[in-house]
Amino acid sequence: MAEKRFMVQIEFLEKYFGEDKDRVHVLKGISLDIPEGSLYTFLGPSGCGKTTTLRCVAGLERPEGGKISIDGRPVFASGERVYIPTNKRPIGMVFQSYAIWPHMTVFENVAYPLTIQRRPRRSKSEIRQKVEEVLKVVGLHGLEDRPAPKLSGGQQQRVAFARALVNEPKVMLLDEPLSNLDAKLREQMRFEIKALQRRVNITTIYVTHDQAEALAISDQIAVMHAGKLIEVGTAHQLYSRPKRKFTATFLGLTNLIEGKVVELGGDSRPGQMETKKGIFSFVPATGLTKGETAVLSIRPEHIQVHKQQPQGLENVVEGTVKEAVFMGDAYHCQIAVGDLLLRVHTHPFLSMSPGEKVYLHLDPQSCNGLPAEDVEGMDESMLGA
Amino acid sequence: MSRFFNSQILILIGCSLFVFYLAGVPLVMLLYGSVRSAPIGEPGATYTIQNYIKAYFDREFYLLFWNSLKFAVGNCIVSFLIGTYLAWISERTNTPFKKLFLVMALIPFIIPGILSTIAWILLLSPKIGLINLVVKGLLRLEAAPFNVYSMGGMIWAEAIHLYPLVFLLMSAAFRNMDTSLEEASLSAGSSTFVTFRRITLPLMRPAMFSVLLIMFVRGMEAFEVPALIGVPAKISVFTTKIFLAIHQFPSDFGLAGSYAVTLLAISTTGVLIYGRITRREERYATVTGKGYRPRVIDLGPWKYLTCASAFVIFALAVVFPVFILLWSSFIPYYGVPSAELVGKMTIANYTYIMNYPLALTAFKNSFYLSVGSATLVMLLTSVIAWITVKSKLPGRVFLDNVTFIPIAMPGIVLGVSLIWVYLTLPIPIYGTIWVLLLAYITKFMPYGIRAASASMIQINKELEEASLASGGTWFQTFWKVILPLLMPGFVAGWIYVSIISLRELSTSILLYSYNSTVLSIMAFDLWEGGQYTYVCALGVLMVLLLVAMAFVARKLGARIGIAE
Ligand SMILES: Nc1ncnc2c1ncn2[C@@H]1O[C@H](COP(=O)(O)OP(=O)(O)O)[C@@H](O)[C@H]1O
Ligand SMILES: [Mg+2]
Repeated sequence: MAEKRFMVQIEFLEKYFGEDKDRVHVLKGISLDIPEGSLYTFLGPSGCGKTTTLRCVAGLERPEGGKISIDGRPVFASGERVYIPTNKRPIGMVFQSYAIWPHMTVFENVAYPLTIQRRPRRSKSEIRQKVEEVLKVVGLHGLEDRPAPKLSGGQQQRVAFARALVNEPKVMLLDEPLSNLDAKLREQMRFEIKALQRRVNITTIYVTHDQAEALAISDQIAVMHAGKLIEVGTAHQLYSRPKRKFTATFLGLTNLIEGKVVELGGDSRPGQMETKKGIFSFVPATGLTKGETAVLSIRPEHIQVHKQQPQGLENVVEGTVKEAVFMGDAYHCQIAVGDLLLRVHTHPFLSMSPGEKVYLHLDPQSCNGLPAEDVEGMDESMLGA
Repeated sequence: MSRFFNSQILILIGCSLFVFYLAGVPLVMLLYGSVRSAPIGEPGATYTIQNYIKAYFDREFYLLFWNSLKFAVGNCIVSFLIGTYLAWISERTNTPFKKLFLVMALIPFIIPGILSTIAWILLLSPKIGLINLVVKGLLRLEAAPFNVYSMGGMIWAEAIHLYPLVFLLMSAAFRNMDTSLEEASLSAGSSTFVTFRRITLPLMRPAMFSVLLIMFVRGMEAFEVPALIGVPAKISVFTTKIFLAIHQFPSDFGLAGSYAVTLLAISTTGVLIYGRITRREERYATVTGKGYRPRVIDLGPWKYLTCASAFVIFALAVVFPVFILLWSSFIPYYGVPSAELVGKMTIANYTYIMNYPLALTAFKNSFYLSVGSATLVMLLTSVIAWITVKSKLPGRVFLDNVTFIPIAMPGIVLGVSLIWVYLTLPIPIYGTIWVLLLAYITKFMPYGIRAASASMIQINKELEEASLASGGTWFQTFWKVILPLLMPGFVAGWIYVSIISLRELSTSILLYSYNSTVLSIMAFDLWEGGQYTYVCALGVLMVLLLVAMAFVARKLGARIGIAE
């Protein structure tokens, strides 16, 4: 792999809100490195501090501690008392409300970052040319003179993108840009944003609480919870090999089985975990130790259902079908294994009816052993949601 | 390193200093002056409480206090009853034409206090009052039934001028009340009357009390009615006493100062209590915020009576005064309408005013002052509103409070204070139009900040941040994004401030000189000189100017910023 340059680096970021008694610790030492040219997503439940982190990068909030650099240049460093104001940072930002100025036309909105620039001062024709270019890129060509309030939601969003892009920033910051659109448009815009980002190749930070959106769009995802960074990885890594219980439950659906590590395995040998339902083979997360209590996480689509007891396989348990809902592309079932209820997605041809006795094969390669102790203050309601 | 925050802090410091200079310095100088034995600047002045002793040990002081109290309480009760009654029928009943009531309540704002006072003298004077003469003729009475030169007359003239404010405030209170609370009481089995007594009244009590307080303070501060009616009637109140103490020869600045401090103490108490009742957030609450659907009472046939009564009040507040002003402005000498006089109608009064040498100066001064103070007040308060509403700068609450100080300063007290300031400080603007400009900015700052803050709250923070993220500096952001978005509030505040500037009398009358005469002063002088028909012509021109300015301001505002 070629050497990676980091466009944005965040180190030990600390942020508090409020004063005295109402003081709350919102960011608890966030550290991140965002590679140049990547689409990097902050993902987490609402209130976990994603927006605040993004606003610290933009300079709209002033952190209490830590360091932020953009393109190798510190824009905030608590120790050295460095603080570059927002308007001097090489950023473009798309706000959740789009923040399109209602007293200006599309052209005026998009041209704003250029017209207010003193050095270099740009000529009228240069500005017009640049605005037209960027409007073409976002697909709004020909709407220059439309007053901003006369735009649809999707168009407003494109104007916001054009305005963020027009001055060729080093980093583009997007705060839940799709949350104000209706479901259909949202799906379509996901791909457009991804394509747009590839085309202009600008390092982009994307904030969302929607895990499906994050999986679809991101080069890398930083999972956050309660002001802390939980784990960073590609969509694929986080989905199939999460390292933390929170990641496994927050991204997609999963089943958790509590147990204790009896064998850690190694090389190509799987680990062994003892649970109330027997011994399971699993792939241990880094940092897991022998003898530790842990959880085994397996996604519903990685559990195979057999009507007869399969021979010569590990990780097989017997269960009773409680519920089977036909979803078109799959059956979504709830299968009771003793007092444990497992979610299982099966092939639509395999018809199942409640009360039926089945055998479940938990593919060892898809069983992730994760530390049982997870994030402090993690809300139980988020598990298995 | 942190340039952005530095420029914010510079702005905060600049605004604070300027606002303190405007509002704080006069206050300090007034208190200082009231404990000096001779006017500041004169040699041999020492500290003394002689001024207070002289004031408080005089029997006249208590008479003055008693008169002021009667006048203020009377004004408070009458204007409250009229305003609240109108607000109730327009918000909570099915009275026909109630949509018109709001417009009808706004029209009186255009009529300067001095003109409405003059109009009521022309209507109710025992000798020349039109109403008196008509009623006397109809009922074949011996003597005039009404006498405006009495406490009752003063209260009436003041209350009929001020009730629109009660109407607006009480309408908002009725509108913001959650009527489901009343419905809950009704469904619990209480009658309409019990519901009114047990639920509606207690819920409305804070609003009612605060409106009463405002009207009391307004009565205490009132100048036009006490000066034009009270003085000839030998009914003295604080404001006229202060005025006369300065206008007599030689001026008694010390006595004026001690009376002014007393009056200031009374009105400040009122304003502080008011502030405690209506907490900060409510002060800026938008009237249309909640959108409760009001429960409308069906009055049955009574609705025609309530409707008629509303029109009668409108006639008294607007039609009669405007009619008498118009009529008097077109006749050669003052008289009751008659066929003979109709035949003699002329525009001579207008040509006289137009050719009156001082008139052009007064028109120019008033116009410049009105436009200048409205513009400067709104620019200043827009910045202050940004600081207090949007920024997190330390000291913003203090700034907000200082900006509000002048609301507790009666106009005449501000006038006295500014005399002290500019006789003392080596700033040679005493007697020029500049001192009036500063006085107006000071006096109307609180109204400006209300309009600007209410609008500022509505502006989504992200609109401003988007400009910063686009590379805009604070000034660019303020000028190109915030100010245009603030335009509706800016224009509304501008219109209001320009109107009240143009009719300002009680402060100007202590600060003007020949060259800085303004229209309201000119009207006052003409009236004092007994030139009634000329005053009325001048008054009509003033009202026309006001209407034109409000109209132009709205047009301009709509073009610059976003339409409302
Ligand atoms: N201006 C503010 N004042 C006080 N608390 C705030 C402010 N902004 C955010 N918070 C708090 O900080 C936490 C993180 O907020 P935020 O970054 O907006 O979360 P997210 O974007 O992940 O939903 C939340 O608990 C929120 O209530
Ligand atoms: Mg957020």
